[in-house]
Amino acid sequence: MNHYETLFVVKPTLTDEETKAQIEKTIAIITDNGGEIVAVDDMGMRKLAYPVEKNERGYYTVVYYRAPATLIAELERQMRYNEEILKFMTVKYTRKKEIEQFDKMVAATNQKQHAPVEPKQKETPVSEAAEPAAEPANKEA
Amino acid sequence: MAERRKFKKRYCRYCEQKVEFIDYKDLNLLKFSLSERFKIMPRRLTGNCKRHQEMVTVAIKRARQTALIPYIVDRKNVIDNPFDLIR
Repeated sequence: MNHYETLFVVKPTLTDEETKAQIEKTIAIITDNGGEIVAVDDMGMRKLAYPVEKNERGYYTVVYYRAPATLIAELERQMRYNEEILKFMTVKYTRKKEIEQFDKMVAATNQKQHAPVEPKQKETPVSEAAEPAAEPANKEA
Repeated sequence: MAERRKFKKRYCRYCEQKVEFIDYKDLNLLKFSLSERFKIMPRRLTGNCKRHQEMVTVAIKRARQTALIPYIVDRKNVIDNPFDLIR
């Protein structure tokens, strides 16, 4: 099991429900292939620095997870097929310091997501982290 | 020499802040090392230490791939307000 982080950008033309469905779809690919979601960070709609497939904006999401190495090929293959996803990037965290940073970022995003409900909660168990993350998506956008 | 005078040799900003790892999504950390045209500033001008310069280059290149910051800014693709991107 390795530590990974995947960032992907969903097309701006979709409706809110469709964007949410795309995010859930990606999360489902990870969980179905033996990965554990640690945190999901919704960066919301942002302006792209340069046009991608003639789109000026995009909906950014970052998923932090632990997964076997074989999952990545499958995930990236499916993302490449998916026409609603403009860009994606997976970063692997291997060294000790990087993993420390990974935990820090996970804690920060979980705190951000849960802040209105439970401010004291630091690290959420894996299964919980995936679900509440999808809901506050609209608030930040 | 004109360049030398413009940029005074400084200490590494990342060492000052005790940054252990530079995340490519954290644009506030990256902007120290970017020029107005979003080029990576050389170490001799920013005063970054080698360790942090290496971290920052990787982070900037990743940010470029994910369209967080532009690859180039020239007369053909102008950004109206470059500081909009880096908040």
